[in-house]
Amino acid sequence: MLARIAQELFWLGRDLARAEHTARMLDGVFHADVAGAAGEQDIALSWAELLAIIGEKAPGPAAAVDAGDATDLEALAAQPLAARLLGRAEVASLLTLDTDSQASIVSCVARARERGRGLRDVMSTEMWEALNTFHLGLAGRDLSAALVSGPYSVYQDVKERCALFWGLVGRTMLRDEGHSFLQAGAQIEAADMVLRMLRVSVPPAPKQQSGSEGEALALLHAVGGFQAYRRAVRAAPTVGPVARFLLYDSAYPGSVAASVEALHSALSTADALPRSSPPVLRLGRLIADLELQRRAPNAAAAFEETLERVQEDLELVDSDVEERYFAMAAAAAVHL
Amino acid sequence: MTEATQQRLLEDYRVPDGCRDELLDENGEPRPHAAPLIATLERLGLEALAAAGRRRDRIFMQQGITFEVAGTDGERRDRPFPLDLVPRVLPAEEWTTIKRGLAQRIRALNAFVDDVYHAHEIVRAGIVPWSLIVSRPSFARPVHGVRPPGGVYCHVSGCDLVRGGDGRWRVLEDNVRTPSGISYVLENRVAMTRLMPELFAGHRVRPVDHYPGLLLDALRAVAPAVDAEPTVVVWTPGPANSAYFEHAFISRQMGVELVEATDLVVRDAVCYMRTTAGLERVHTIYRRLDDDFIDPLEFRPDSLLGVPGLVRAYRAGTVAIANAIGTGVADDKAIYHYVPEMIRFYLSEEPILDNVPTYLLGDEATRKHVLSRLDQLVVKPTSESGGKGVFIGPHASSLECEAQARLIEAEPERWIAQELVHLSTVPTETTDGRLAARHVDLRPFAVFGDEIRIVPGGLTRVALRAGSMVVNSSQGGGSKDTWVLDDGGAVDLVPGTLPAHRPPPRLPDVRYGGWRGQAQQQQQQGARDTDPRFPSGKSR
Repeated sequence: MLARIAQELFWLGRDLARAEHTARMLDGVFHADVAGAAGEQDIALSWAELLAIIGEKAPGPAAAVDAGDATDLEALAAQPLAARLLGRAEVASLLTLDTDSQASIVSCVARARERGRGLRDVMSTEMWEALNTFHLGLAGRDLSAALVSGPYSVYQDVKERCALFWGLVGRTMLRDEGHSFLQAGAQIEAADMVLRMLRVSVPPAPKQQSGSEGEALALLHAVGGFQAYRRAVRAAPTVGPVARFLLYDSAYPGSVAASVEALHSALSTADALPRSSPPVLRLGRLIADLELQRRAPNAAAAFEETLERVQEDLELVDSDVEERYFAMAAAAAVHL
Repeated sequence: MTEATQQRLLEDYRVPDGCRDELLDENGEPRPHAAPLIATLERLGLEALAAAGRRRDRIFMQQGITFEVAGTDGERRDRPFPLDLVPRVLPAEEWTTIKRGLAQRIRALNAFVDDVYHAHEIVRAGIVPWSLIVSRPSFARPVHGVRPPGGVYCHVSGCDLVRGGDGRWRVLEDNVRTPSGISYVLENRVAMTRLMPELFAGHRVRPVDHYPGLLLDALRAVAPAVDAEPTVVVWTPGPANSAYFEHAFISRQMGVELVEATDLVVRDAVCYMRTTAGLERVHTIYRRLDDDFIDPLEFRPDSLLGVPGLVRAYRAGTVAIANAIGTGVADDKAIYHYVPEMIRFYLSEEPILDNVPTYLLGDEATRKHVLSRLDQLVVKPTSESGGKGVFIGPHASSLECEAQARLIEAEPERWIAQELVHLSTVPTETTDGRLAARHVDLRPFAVFGDEIRIVPGGLTRVALRAGSMVVNSSQGGGSKDTWVLDDGGAVDLVPGTLPAHRPPPRLPDVRYGGWRGQAQQQQQQGARDTDPRFPSGKSR
């Protein structure tokens, strides 16, 4: 398969996974913001944190000054106050409908659709139509009015459209190499988003069995995992168990472990020589590491480091993937 | 536009005589605690309210939050659950009183149930006649002398509160069998945050979504002592039950199995459920069916919904049942009369919440007095629930009055009479889109495990017809989201009062890559044309 096509499919998967996760997180934070959350002082998941998770800079004059910077996390960290004062209106519209922001949902979808235009020979017509309808639907809707009157319907729409697309992938796309790269992109992005959320919102060294722990329902709502948690875990949804569930429990498809495993299987299928493939090998080790960490007696104490290490590993996997499969395309792009 | 709609939204808003409106005062001005809400409503106007109403009906139909009503032609059809979009707002200090009063009442009712099946102290003290207790249909002889773990009988209770014209809260009915409605409390709140998020601006509303957690904690706390984590199940009579939606909701939210009778089995006085891996021990059963049906060996022998031997297991103390068997004796309407006395007797406290003045009709003189004032009183059958057979004097014709009088003369013990309470009102949508005063009651939900915990607010039921005081949803009632405001001193976002902020950890940069992205970046050397919708070739 052409390196360029594979790369575009990979990033199409990433864009859509990103749009969906962003929508879920916005919906979760929005609900917690309006309805109030019982004893959730233990986790930090609100509008300012959402910006950090998504990797977007704060809107307003402060951000405009250094627009050239790729990420503005330092700026955000340096101005905690300004960031804290950010409210629903600014952040929700920035991350939902701002076409100037690469991180916004509409940008992600527009990008995915633009990629899709160049991939019509490798994906099914139904997939393309779903993608195109998704984009046109968002573009044709008065999103800022919808955000004011009922953002729920906007995010619900995004979730449903994404689900439709992935359903059609499962039903109509040939299970070839392209399919694997599309899946790989979606999985690496999903793992990355959940890791980012956990790293930003979970306090360092969550208190274990302290009894005074607040609930962490917002974390579960932000990935749509509340009911899965309730069925899978018997402990009350406090920070520690919830964070472990979202990192380790591979039975839940939204967990980091599940995404990493799916990524591993997608790449092993796509790779001609998986046994000597750096990304596949690295992922195999990461899966074993996660399992080991899950069973380690002091897993809770080292939770923060574990998150950081997993994310670093995924970064390396990402560059391995780039190197091994897409390097040809990148070289061509320079000479375009 | 706002001027016109403002006037129309609350135009002709009239509170019925003798009633108190909870959001507006006597002059039609918003009460202080509801001022931001009323202001937002007026700003939004009729149009936005109507649009939200249409979204609500669609979402409720989609989510299956419906109930069956019989149409005028007798045909039964599904309707979206009637949630009124104007919430009811309770200030924090009022809620504190209600909460303390309810906790007190539930402690007393619980002590009463224990007493009834053990020492009979209240009978020997001459406060409640034993003949009245044993004649209650819900008195359960099979559990005499059984004390459940922790001595808790009324694990889940929902007392109905009303508020009269004097502004005082009173208990209208106790419900310590299987009170339903909590699912609507939670669903109403979720729906309101989705449909009308603007309304929450300016109010700090206390959350309700921790109820399933509270309930699960309580059910685990009362489980018989075991080594491992106890297994809790919710027991439903089945999908045909009118409250099945709620049973499924609660079990889903708690993440426990929803079982039917055929899933449970008792072996050697231990209760198990049938799983794919064989029999699994059950420690606590949150049952949503009446005593009469739970065990054909002890109660109704014709019950197909029951589990044979369950009462034996319960007596052996190997399984906890919530609510305990036999609690119905405490919420009987004839026993209701004695609850203030119970509070004094068991707790040595003065009742915080009053009863509605009630007359037992067994006594000759009282009966005479009641019959002479029948057109001013409410008469209810004892041992019934759900608003069945209730007679409302002021709304009855003289013919109906006579018929009721004959019924009372025939079986005086079957009836009680109560003074009519002029239920408080809250602005409510009407069919023409405007707001009008409609009568409401309140059912807060309490959970009793280690201690009594009450979810802020509860289910507000509202009579959707003008002047009607019947709020039951089976009889054309609706519901409202109930807000209890937080008095935790609104945390203003001003410098200095902020909680310590932890800067986010250093996260890796986000890339928006792909072949196009790279081509673009490298070509344009960081030029600020990052619009992803145009391939790089075209932008030159």
